[in-house]
Amino acid sequence: MTTALPTTASEGPRAALGMTRKGFGKLTATQARLLLREPAALVWLLVPVVLVVVLGSIPGFRTPQASLGGQRVIDVYVPTCAAMVPLFLSLTALPMTLAAYREKDVLRRLSVSPVPAAGVLGALVAVVAAVATAGVALVTAIGALVFDVSAPAHPIAVVAGFVLGGAAVLALGLVVAARARTGAVASGLGVPLMVLNFFASGLYVPVAELPHTLQQICAVIPFGAVTAVWSGQGVLWQHLLVLVGWTVAGSLAAVRWFRWE
Amino acid sequence: MAVIEVERLHKRYGGDVAVHEVSFEVERGEIFGVLGPNGAGKTTTVECLSGLRRRDGGRVSVLGLDPEAQRDALRQVLGVQLQHSALPDRLRVREALELYASFYRQPADVGELLARLGLKEKAGTAYKKLSGGQQQRLAIALAMVGSPRVVVLDELTTGLDPHARRATWEMVEQIRDAGVTVLLVTHFMEEAERLCDRVALIDAGRVVAVDTPAGLAARAGREQRMRFRPSAPLEDAALLALPEVTRVQRHGPQVEVVGTGNLVHAVTALLARRQIIAGDLRVEQTSLDDAFVSLTTHTTSGATS
Repeated sequence: MTTALPTTASEGPRAALGMTRKGFGKLTATQARLLLREPAALVWLLVPVVLVVVLGSIPGFRTPQASLGGQRVIDVYVPTCAAMVPLFLSLTALPMTLAAYREKDVLRRLSVSPVPAAGVLGALVAVVAAVATAGVALVTAIGALVFDVSAPAHPIAVVAGFVLGGAAVLALGLVVAARARTGAVASGLGVPLMVLNFFASGLYVPVAELPHTLQQICAVIPFGAVTAVWSGQGVLWQHLLVLVGWTVAGSLAAVRWFRWE
Repeated sequence: MAVIEVERLHKRYGGDVAVHEVSFEVERGEIFGVLGPNGAGKTTTVECLSGLRRRDGGRVSVLGLDPEAQRDALRQVLGVQLQHSALPDRLRVREALELYASFYRQPADVGELLARLGLKEKAGTAYKKLSGGQQQRLAIALAMVGSPRVVVLDELTTGLDPHARRATWEMVEQIRDAGVTVLLVTHFMEEAERLCDRVALIDAGRVVAVDTPAGLAARAGREQRMRFRPSAPLEDAALLALPEVTRVQRHGPQVEVVGTGNLVHAVTALLARRQIIAGDLRVEQTSLDDAFVSLTTHTTSGATS
């Protein structure tokens, strides 16, 4: 699970400082179990899946469009729908879970055990990363198998983009989670960030139809950069650099600003 | 040898001083009480020595470790039960203990802890579904799961019914009997009297006294109280004539005599001379309660003058 995202791997050794390795594994497994016991939190994950199926079922969306450079609407929307999965998980589910723990003094209890802040964040990240990976794989598989969406030109670059993009928004979600005192604050901060990323990933208007300046702005927003990598727009290494930048800055800020109560 | 040393601890929150200057030492194997009215700085003091808060002044050492600089090492040997703390609603009792056990290098046996704290039948119950007493027992179990050498128990029995409170006290004594040093924070006199070997009385961020519960009571007061139902009429004047008696009150057929010195002996001697039998006799020594009130109000008035 931890191989899905670079942040998780880099937090591993730090997490092991104050707690046992077994403890980190157990904390991660417990988080996963608690998530499964509260499946309401995952209902939103059905949205991108349903969206792909609905959009793909509209005949007009399966014909090539000149305004999209000869691509079909469904071709453009599969990466966008796939992007919704990590965005939703990282920017709302993760911060709200952590804020609820803080609100109910669950974190206070953990703070007197040998678990360091990075351990708590790392365990949540591992669970979210695993669920996100599964969700992205499901959406992509539906697109490819049911609606015949062709593989991107550079599949390795796209996987790298998704992994780094996921890491970047997870890091941002952690910054929100590290600071928000209550669930309401967490969603107040996380939801606008999520909507911004939705926009940049072309959920509302395909990025190709936006004015040039807006397209450039979108490219420095994490999931704008990921969508650009998928569609092969712009310079690949620049997009990846943007994502690495967000990940590093976000992770550092999250661990620095984390508070237990 | 002292396992906890607190020397001139000082802590502010912004402009408010929560702890002015607190010093005490806790010896190995004792139950040491930190006693004081609400807002006296008790919880802040234990938060500083558990490494939860940074102190603004003074020195703190727990098992030779600095709670701030050697936080990670301290976590492995110090068990803490906090006043305000919780677990995720859907986490079950056994899962919680197994989770916390996995954080420590030398965890206690989870099955044994469950049995010892009477949580065996509740092992599969979600945290949310536990009663207050059960949640509190689980909190103690979590404080003990790392096989700590020192445990801090903060307001352990607040909100518990008398039965659960007594059961919890027995558990604290068991912890001490197992060789673990206990720091008990409480505002219940009865609890301190029953459990503590020594008590630090804290008021308005300062230590007012450190003594045994009996020592504290003796320090505060000379007053004693007897209550009985005389078998024959007994006039107040006869009682008040005794030099030991300061006050007599009637409660229906009951007489209450308040006084100092060897009050019990003086009154029983009087009754014997008159051949009166004292029915339902109750004698109250000065309790820690009285000591608490007299010692803490004394400093409050001293601080304002």
